[in-house]
Amino acid sequence: MPLTDRWLALGLWVVLSAAGIAAARIDFFPPAGAREAQVADAAFRLLMRLAAPVFALVVTVLVVALARRRGHGDPPPDAVVGPEHPAVPRAWFGLTAALAAYVIYNPGLVGIHEMRGDPQADVVVRVDATSWYWEVTYPESGVRSREVVLPAGRRVRVEITSRDVLHSFWIPAFRTKVDAVPGLRTVLLVTPTTVATSETHHAYRLQCAELCGTGHDTMRATVRVVDEATFRRWLQEQRRTARPGRP
Amino acid sequence: MRFVLRGLTWGALGYLGGGPGLAALVRWLGGPAWRLETVLTVGYPFALAGWLAGIGLWDAWARGWFGLAVRPVHAPGWRRYFTFCTDHKVIGLQYLVTFVGLFLLAGAMALLMRVELAWPGRSVVGPAAFNQIMSLHGIVMIAVAVAVVLGGLGNYLVPLMIGAPDMAFPRVNALSYWLVPPVALLLLGAQLVGGFNTGWTAYPPLSEINPAGQALFILAVVTFGLSSILGGINFVVTIARLRAPGMTWGRLPIFVWSVFAASLLSFTFTQYLAAALLMVLLDRQVGMAFFHFARQGTPLLYQHVFWFYSHPAVYIMILPAFGVALEVIAHSARTPLYAYRWAVGGFLGIVGLSPLVWAHHMFTSGMREGLHAPFLVTTEAISVPTGLVFLSALGTLWRGRLWLRTPMLFAGVGFLWNFLIGGLTGIFNADVATDLHLHDTYFVVSHFHYTIVGGEIFALFAALYYWFPKLTGRMYHERLGRLHFWWIFLAYNATFLPMFWLGLHGMNRRIGDYPPALAGVNLFVSVAAFLLGAGVLAAVASLGQAWVRGQRAAANPWQATTLEWQVPSPPPEHNFPAPPQVVGPPYPYGQPGLRHAVMPAAGGDR
Repeated sequence: MPLTDRWLALGLWVVLSAAGIAAARIDFFPPAGAREAQVADAAFRLLMRLAAPVFALVVTVLVVALARRRGHGDPPPDAVVGPEHPAVPRAWFGLTAALAAYVIYNPGLVGIHEMRGDPQADVVVRVDATSWYWEVTYPESGVRSREVVLPAGRRVRVEITSRDVLHSFWIPAFRTKVDAVPGLRTVLLVTPTTVATSETHHAYRLQCAELCGTGHDTMRATVRVVDEATFRRWLQEQRRTARPGRP
Repeated sequence: MRFVLRGLTWGALGYLGGGPGLAALVRWLGGPAWRLETVLTVGYPFALAGWLAGIGLWDAWARGWFGLAVRPVHAPGWRRYFTFCTDHKVIGLQYLVTFVGLFLLAGAMALLMRVELAWPGRSVVGPAAFNQIMSLHGIVMIAVAVAVVLGGLGNYLVPLMIGAPDMAFPRVNALSYWLVPPVALLLLGAQLVGGFNTGWTAYPPLSEINPAGQALFILAVVTFGLSSILGGINFVVTIARLRAPGMTWGRLPIFVWSVFAASLLSFTFTQYLAAALLMVLLDRQVGMAFFHFARQGTPLLYQHVFWFYSHPAVYIMILPAFGVALEVIAHSARTPLYAYRWAVGGFLGIVGLSPLVWAHHMFTSGMREGLHAPFLVTTEAISVPTGLVFLSALGTLWRGRLWLRTPMLFAGVGFLWNFLIGGLTGIFNADVATDLHLHDTYFVVSHFHYTIVGGEIFALFAALYYWFPKLTGRMYHERLGRLHFWWIFLAYNATFLPMFWLGLHGMNRRIGDYPPALAGVNLFVSVAAFLLGAGVLAAVASLGQAWVRGQRAAANPWQATTLEWQVPSPPPEHNFPAPPQVVGPPYPYGQPGLRHAVMPAAGGDR
């Protein structure tokens, strides 16, 4: 291949890689309503930046190959090539292994650590899933509810179980989910950051994300993230309005 | 057709005798009454035995065991496709036609789902019917993906490419194929007894409390698994033992290596799926408690066993597609396949790693969090052997001079572009921090469609066009082929690229209704899906037309080097008049003095 073609290919690869890395800066995410969402979105962007040069490399080779094609007619004469240089596959193997090792480290293991965060929580919420609705309990105050009300800025420990089949607790704005498994109490730790409600943006809805039968797609609940004072007030109101004698 | 009708009759008699017959006998002896589901399950082995005996196992195989004269079951001409025929080329075409048909059927179900999903709210099918259609689409497409390239092209081409007269176990091979029709009948018949609504994954507890259709689903998948295991063993033995003189492992065409690698997986891991599903069946019918939480079972155990097969399964699907793509790229680029031995190493590396990654499907399942890190590590690591496949493809394209015919468009442009997207987005699913959000959303739906449809089905099309003259003796229409490629390629990407956005923005999978804010993109996807469906239908119709009326093809229209092109198109019954002598590498393009094989003269002396 002529030297100018090689420089053109290198130039194309650099431009495409830069475009991919720049594209990772665009804000194409739904609202991020929790500390975990910021971690997940940062990991997503980092993976995009790491993937960009790989994507660009394959596209560059494809473009070069198409530009030098020999048409559709009769079979062209064979390409005359020299022997393969043994260093190229070795370098490729080394580079891809190094890239994979980096992705394992960051965002991989770093991401797991950041996602898990502080195991201590300020508020405990119990969620029981039944086909096809959610029941929310606040064990510290004995309040029960059909909607999820959470205080912004406080760490919440959601303890989830199911009474029948598998369900999954997912609030898209929080970027994390965990299954509701009968006989098991699974845990989701999340720190909501913004005051928001699913009535204004669907990413704040609680949505079942594990196929659970006929009502699966509409197995949703309202979520409201409110400030600390409103949260306390809401808990008190709920306690007052709850009928006495109810468990 | 006589044997098919006899198979159906004997099968039906077996079902009646084994199911209601046994149930009545048990009742008469004072036993308990059986539920419909138990009757259906107990009758099935008898029905399967009846079907297989009727289709030809009895005449062509079993009679010999009992010292009776074996009767021929072969019919002349096209009728042999409806008999227990042991010719690997007949079996290859049986697989191809059956699974391309099932692909179109399950594709129609996908379009029905896209009609429902075009607008938010309920429009065409109710929620129960939607889940049934979605589940049927899923399992049929899984079966297509497992069998269409491996069973179809593998059977047709592997013996030809290694210079063998047939597969190692021709009758087992015919058995593998004739196990398939009962699978299709069971899956469709299941819809009559309530269907199944658990997707193709059949997670308990849902799969233990839903209608009787789930039991037929389980019997279907177990039967299909048996076919897959037998096929896998057959390929491994054939490739290990029946290579022509001089066909060393280092001279095997790359497609044969990919079939070998996929077959290692299919006969090693398929039984785990069968085990998981049979445990569900026992839970359902005899009150066992493998996965029943109220009786100290553990629902999560199912997912571990299920994915222990079902992750290797995606490599059973994609490895032969890698092989097709590299094969077509090397012949089209008119140059030796670059880094051949590294690509083989990549296949074997994938085989080695694929059983160690299964729990990346379970990051959100509630399994112990300590398991996240190790499965993240193994999963990201599998990108390294996969990268070697790309090294081979890109190096070949870089050094070669492309002969840009339709097969090359599908393999070089379509497969590489689509699988690149599928592979790179897989990294987002393997990463725990991003997967906790993306799992069970349309991001995943798009990811696996990019690998399996964008990857494997595009490779299937590459293969259908590339080997079309060999399979049919006729040539496809080149201009139409190129038109169909661009049509399918653009419509495919228009359908599936937006799904990444949908998943990221909160559209979960396996739903018939979604938040109204996602309506616009969903409508776009639905329209593009119909364009894609029309393109696929047009391509298949055009290939069908060329099969009947196309121009006669030469034996070797591509002037390709590998053995299957050195025999007439279509090849004669026993492939080679005498074993060919393999003397060099499979792709000696532009290598003066090197050639792949010396063919014996017709009726030659060796």
